[in-house]
Amino acid sequence: MSELLRTLSDFLLFARRALAAQFTQIPPLPEFARHFYQAGVGSVGLLTILTVFAGLNLSVQSYATFERFGGQDFLGMFAGIGGVRELYPVMAAVVCGARIGANLAAALANMKISEQVEALEVMSVDPMRHLVAPRLWAVTLALPVLCGYANVIGIGASYAGAVWQLGLDGGTFRSQLAEVVGLSDLAVGMFKGLVFGWLVALIATFHGYRAAKKEGAEGVGIATNRAIVHGAVMCILLNLGISWLLYG
Amino acid sequence: MRPMLQLLATIGAGFSFFLDVLHTAVTSPRHISEMLRIMATLVKRCIIPVGLAVAPVGAVISLQGLEIFRMFGLDRMLSSLLGTAIFREYSPALASVMVAAQAGSSIAARIGTMKVRGQIDALAVMSVDPMRYVVVPGVVACMLVTPLLNVLTNVLGVLSGWVFAVPLGGVNHGAFIEHLTAQITPADLWVGLGKCALFGTAVGLIAGYLGMGTKGGAEAVGKAANDTVVYTIVLILLVDYVVSMALLGAGI
Repeated sequence: MSELLRTLSDFLLFARRALAAQFTQIPPLPEFARHFYQAGVGSVGLLTILTVFAGLNLSVQSYATFERFGGQDFLGMFAGIGGVRELYPVMAAVVCGARIGANLAAALANMKISEQVEALEVMSVDPMRHLVAPRLWAVTLALPVLCGYANVIGIGASYAGAVWQLGLDGGTFRSQLAEVVGLSDLAVGMFKGLVFGWLVALIATFHGYRAAKKEGAEGVGIATNRAIVHGAVMCILLNLGISWLLYG
Repeated sequence: MRPMLQLLATIGAGFSFFLDVLHTAVTSPRHISEMLRIMATLVKRCIIPVGLAVAPVGAVISLQGLEIFRMFGLDRMLSSLLGTAIFREYSPALASVMVAAQAGSSIAARIGTMKVRGQIDALAVMSVDPMRYVVVPGVVACMLVTPLLNVLTNVLGVLSGWVFAVPLGGVNHGAFIEHLTAQITPADLWVGLGKCALFGTAVGLIAGYLGMGTKGGAEAVGKAANDTVVYTIVLILLVDYVVSMALLGAGI
């Protein structure tokens, strides 16, 4: 219990320092561009495969469920609302978060255990500004874009699943979609992406930064694992909070 | 051409690894105590993250489902959607994803570390088959632990869905329970548990395969752990889709 509280207080202290570094100075631009490219473009392939299957799956599964009480006609609505507001943003955050967060945590933990961070401090280079801030900015800005992309691909996939595989009427699906899904829902999805991206990056850099030299190579593994799991759990919990505030 | 060949080679190697594991698992000697030890560790490490990740899903389904069902004045029926969605789809899939994130990556890291330090070769020198002693117990443990956790997440998912539907959403408690018990059949539960066993096996197999294939130093171990999570999530979503289509076709 005291362990948990210590970690939490460490995290809050780290968050304060990281926020100060993130918002008071402009991060080194080449660094930011490199991390943005790695986090954003690097995740597109993975995200595309996953969203296509998630979208198809959403159609098939909801069809199987709604068929039981004769509600197949709701499919377009359910696939639209459930997908755009909840499923795709959360999936993008969990999956890309797992990939990006693990990379961030592993990279920082490696620098920490090989004392590169201390070396920076000795040279009076602020590691928060040069290591943490560009990564925070990169992931915070990359995830909303990924979420928007996932929304488009996901809707396309669930439409394809409904019309071509389940043989539903495409016109009904489209009109239902247009009826319930507006720009505001897409905006909410991207807003969620912004929050999740920031959270994932903060958690990952925190765990990477906390790795101690004495832990050695295992410290890198522990940091990576915690970054993935804590990031995913926090995103899912926070998603409920945001949805509750907005739609509850 | 070359990437295609590489992909085929990987698939072939993975399949022969799977046959190896299968053969080792069905022949004795079996290291049951090692398996039980891994199972205990997995349950201890996974129970909190898995519970925390799946519980909000029921709440979100209630929250968004109510809005749609209200448009048609059908909010009494909400629990039929909630129950089937949780039992058949979201609880098994998400529980397995979290098991992959927590247990799969740690198994891969553990095997990878042993491999990098030469402990796997040391086992082989002592004529202990590393497959039998290290990989198979991990695979079997994952296969058994994931359905166990799924039972818990089913309860948590429906409970959180109930909280958001009945006290917060204003659905009648009696109607909620009535539609829940009318719609959920034992088949739903078995479908969910079967999926979990399948996904859990996949987690253990991928972790074992990538862990045993680790070459190099600490970075390779991290990569094996990370790849395990990513590949397993892709596989879970893909298999989930195929299973859904098959079940829909079979009318279960």
